[in-house]
Amino acid sequence: MGVKTFAAIDVGSFELTMKIFEFSGKNNMREIERINKRIDLGSDTFAHGKISREKMDELCRTLKEFAEVCRAYKVDAYKAYGTSAIRETENSIVVQDQIAQRTGIRLEVLSNSEQRFLDYKSIASRGESFRRIIEEKTAILDIGGGSIQLSLFDNDTLVSTQNIRLGVLRIQDYLSRFDARAGRREGIIDEMVLAQLENYKKLYLKDREIRNLIIVDDYISPWAVKTMGKDNAAAVLKEDEFEKLMEKLRTRSAAQISDSMGIPEEKVPLVFISAILIRRIAGLMGVENIWAPGVTLCDGIAYEYAEKIKMFQGEHDFEQDIIACAMNISKRYMGSRKRAETLENITTTIFDSMKKVHGLGKRQRLYLRLAAILHDCGKYISMVNIGTTSYNIIMATEIIGLSHMEREIVANVVRFNHSRFTYYGQQDGVQGLDRESYLTVGKLTAILRLANGLDRSHKQKMRGLKAALKDNRLILTVDTQEDITLEKGFFEAKAEFFQEVFSVEPVLKQWKSL
Amino acid sequence: MGEIDFCDPKYYTNRELSWILFDHRVLNEARDKNIPLFERLKFLSITASNLDEFFMIRVASLKDMVNARYGKPDIAGMTPAEQLAALDTAIHELVELQYSTYNRSLVPKLRQNGLQIIGRHEDLTREEAEFADKYFAENVYPVLTPMAVDSSRPFPLIRNKTLNIAALVHKKNSREELEFATVQVPGVLSRIVQLPSGNKGKKVILLEEIIERNMHKLFLNYDIVCAHPFRIMRNADLTIEEDEAADLLKEIEKQLKKRQWGQAIRLEVEEGCDRRLLKIIKDELHMEEQNIYAIDGPLDLTVLMKLYGMEGFEHLKAPGYTPQPVPELPSGCKIFDRIRKKDILLHHPYQTFEPVVEFIRQAARDPEVLAIKQTLYRVSGNSPIIAALAQAAENGKQVTVLVELKARFDEEHNIVWARMLEKAGCHVIYGLVGLKTHSKITLVVRREEDGIRRYVHLGTGNYNDATAKLYTDIGLLTCSEYIGEDATAVFNMLSGYSEPLMWNRLSLAPLWLKDRFLQLIRRERKYAQEGRPARIIAKMNALCDRDIIAALYQASAAGVKIDLIVRGICCLKVGIPGVSENITVRSIVGNFLEHSRIFYFENDEHYEIYCGSADWMPRNLERRVEILFPVEKPELKEELLHILQSQLRDNVKASVLGPSGAYEKVSRRGKSRFQSQEAFCLEAVEKARAAVEAEAHMTRTFVPETHHETGVIG
Repeated sequence: MGVKTFAAIDVGSFELTMKIFEFSGKNNMREIERINKRIDLGSDTFAHGKISREKMDELCRTLKEFAEVCRAYKVDAYKAYGTSAIRETENSIVVQDQIAQRTGIRLEVLSNSEQRFLDYKSIASRGESFRRIIEEKTAILDIGGGSIQLSLFDNDTLVSTQNIRLGVLRIQDYLSRFDARAGRREGIIDEMVLAQLENYKKLYLKDREIRNLIIVDDYISPWAVKTMGKDNAAAVLKEDEFEKLMEKLRTRSAAQISDSMGIPEEKVPLVFISAILIRRIAGLMGVENIWAPGVTLCDGIAYEYAEKIKMFQGEHDFEQDIIACAMNISKRYMGSRKRAETLENITTTIFDSMKKVHGLGKRQRLYLRLAAILHDCGKYISMVNIGTTSYNIIMATEIIGLSHMEREIVANVVRFNHSRFTYYGQQDGVQGLDRESYLTVGKLTAILRLANGLDRSHKQKMRGLKAALKDNRLILTVDTQEDITLEKGFFEAKAEFFQEVFSVEPVLKQWKSL
Repeated sequence: MGEIDFCDPKYYTNRELSWILFDHRVLNEARDKNIPLFERLKFLSITASNLDEFFMIRVASLKDMVNARYGKPDIAGMTPAEQLAALDTAIHELVELQYSTYNRSLVPKLRQNGLQIIGRHEDLTREEAEFADKYFAENVYPVLTPMAVDSSRPFPLIRNKTLNIAALVHKKNSREELEFATVQVPGVLSRIVQLPSGNKGKKVILLEEIIERNMHKLFLNYDIVCAHPFRIMRNADLTIEEDEAADLLKEIEKQLKKRQWGQAIRLEVEEGCDRRLLKIIKDELHMEEQNIYAIDGPLDLTVLMKLYGMEGFEHLKAPGYTPQPVPELPSGCKIFDRIRKKDILLHHPYQTFEPVVEFIRQAARDPEVLAIKQTLYRVSGNSPIIAALAQAAENGKQVTVLVELKARFDEEHNIVWARMLEKAGCHVIYGLVGLKTHSKITLVVRREEDGIRRYVHLGTGNYNDATAKLYTDIGLLTCSEYIGEDATAVFNMLSGYSEPLMWNRLSLAPLWLKDRFLQLIRRERKYAQEGRPARIIAKMNALCDRDIIAALYQASAAGVKIDLIVRGICCLKVGIPGVSENITVRSIVGNFLEHSRIFYFENDEHYEIYCGSADWMPRNLERRVEILFPVEKPELKEELLHILQSQLRDNVKASVLGPSGAYEKVSRRGKSRFQSQEAFCLEAVEKARAAVEAEAHMTRTFVPETHHETGVIG
């Protein structure tokens, strides 16, 4: 039987969701089960930093039931991810371990950018509708319990993404602490949102006009899908329709709203907050259309799995998004685009010629490109400690599509490009990277350093660089008329580390074609 | 003329009084000379057991309200006290009619047909009396517990619904005052005692008469002054009937002290009972005059059901009917394959319930089946369904069963087999807090070549193979993806998970069902207003939801033609000018209990037809989990429409509600006799026969087996 069954479990801040999917043939995916259970983990975590015992019991009980359902469907694989409520718990590893012991489910914690990337993937998986929408200037607003994520598109490529701590549950938590009267709530939320968004606008939006806003949330989206029908492409709200909805939310009682929107009453305040967020942000951007495709994290988890087992091939080039994001960061910190391109060119040329030696893959090649693009972003802050400042900038900037660990790899490659390499296990070595990743960092650093040496003068003399691996030598041939004495000198200095890592001696040759 | 207020109480009938009319219609069957004599006994017996239940549930509830000083008027504007007053009169009339039917029609008729019931032990011949006394000494005396009342012994507890004999006694040879004594007629012995009668037909006497005759043997030191049977009904042990408003519950909680638990609410005594004796009973039990029923005949007519079972009178009973095989599902077929071919409609009891049992049995054995989920409301003892579910769990399938413990009177029974299912490894859900699960749905999840496929059975009747032989119900077997998704969502909700984003086909009470019905009714109204064809035909057991009735009135006023087939309670009034002139109501009371709920909406000539578990009652629409499902395949829709049309044509068993509020049998006016239940029986037989013939025809060609089946189903 060519059918694969997969369970995606999302331990969210407000509810637990499990969806079971069936994959039969390429790009043929069917949701066969969806279970939601409302467990408000977020309010525990956001207020006290820990999940209470009662909630923990309920969580385990539900996950156990989920496991039962998985067993009944004989699922081939599952992925269980925890999001902000689990991530922000002080004792998240204890929580994870308890869940594993009590339910047999291995719960992994998603970093924010991983989570948003999955959401993003699930939107992108909507294919045609998605492509059509991002042809125009578009933003994605991903509303979570703890925070929201704003991502911008330019020329159908994602160019920036920013996390803002304005999650629906967090706002509700604030509101309850301020003891806000019902009539004042909207004003207070508006103020909170505006304060944060003003900065965002200055930094990212500038004069950009956005036409479309794509919404990912668990509050407005279900209603939108319900009213607009299952055909996701149709779930587009015009600005004025959204105003009507707002009016309804403002004037009616929770019971009436629950009734007319077909949502549980306890969810009504959250829908209200979500709606205010959407309205504010849409207003700020001058958005005309709001698209709520109704995708959830579970869909994203399933797509990721489907890609892995080669049952799904999306059309959108996510790697391009990541590169574009990196370019944008570099631009913000006054990096030279030309130099970045040259460096990227050289590094990839070397990387590709060394495949047999380094044994790294496509993903690592991406890290290298990112490192090349971001290699000196720290200059913006200090010309002396470029290594450390670059590292800090990269670690503090989200790049959608990269996991935390991946970001760590890229940032360290950039750091070691400038400073002494510390080895795995050494006292001042990098924390939080496993052996494998550490090795990757070493290898990529070696390549980046070599490439950096080749472009020392920042004059891009190395156009038409060719690389060939012969025995234990990497022959790099430059086709240039210019003097490359400086490069040669630095090259030899950098070659040492390269030799150490790969046991390959790099040799630079100049070939002056006429 | 001002705007009509369709909610005006004057447009509504009180539901209790409407129920009395229903029992009258059943009683009419007992009075119908065209019906075989023993069937008439059965109907009379049913009126009696109906009335008992009515007392315990409805009258008791009204008494509670009065005790709690709850005065909110009902749909027809009557306060509980007013309702009780009206009921007293109506019930007395009903009881009188029951006994005049018994005494004047049935007893003489029985005697003519060779069954003599001796009403009074005084009428026994000497030999018969000797037999009776001997019977008493050997069989009855050992199980009796006589109780006397004097200053040292309090008045004994008289159990609810039991038959007792009360006596006035005084000490032998003394002039002391009269004392009260009582003895319960034991329920373990047959109440009908057959007397030796040679070959001149059969003769029976009731057990209480034999005991009464031998009272003196129970109280040896006393003289018996008089002895009479009596029976009481209490509102003991009953929780507040869920039909009432929630504010009533609060009210009663507040007034809990005032509520007299176990209060006797009805006393039946033999007519001509000694007045001194009656006074003692009345005072001790705090009976009010209007709640005392002087009965001219045997108390508790449910005994007639036992009489029905007597051998030797088969010619006086309706010929039995065997539910017919379903042509689409011949025995031994692979049910899943058949359902995959097309949706299958089942019409019970005309067609056998066996395929439904078989559906679950095959699911239990099928290695490709992953899960079985089912709601169970009332099941038969020894249910084959329960056995199959247990088997499935043992075979490693995920089995989820929702067992409704709140099914009236069935609680204990249900707990036993629910525990058994749990032991077998089923996941058992014991109902939902605050809601009764009344829906009838089974979901089978099967893993097939091209992925998961869901098979669903939806019904209007309980998964009870015994009642499926008596109740008319509709079942649908389908593997429609839409319904399958909805069914999964239903069970997820029953398991405590959130509602799905949307429902494809099913409508669920208490969430959306009422709105859905109102929408459907309003849509017809809209069409009528636009001058397009608009019609509603709805068949159900009871109609008493104010919102629905008001919507029907509005629709009728707009010109929608509405035909209702309501077996029991109907709070809607017909023939009110400007309100309900376009509405007809008929009730069919026949050999089978009409139980299916079918709803037809014309929808501008694209008619839609739905079946479901819910009546148009507030309790069904608001406080129960119910499912309404559309039947969409054209040929099945036609079948359902045919059922409705046949019932509208019925001129034998149908009674029509008139503007006066009374029901009358349909006048035939020269039309030929048409009885829908009978017609359905014939149709089912014909269909089954045609299928057998077609099959026989088919098998004239041989089909070589091309591969060895490794399937499971034999």
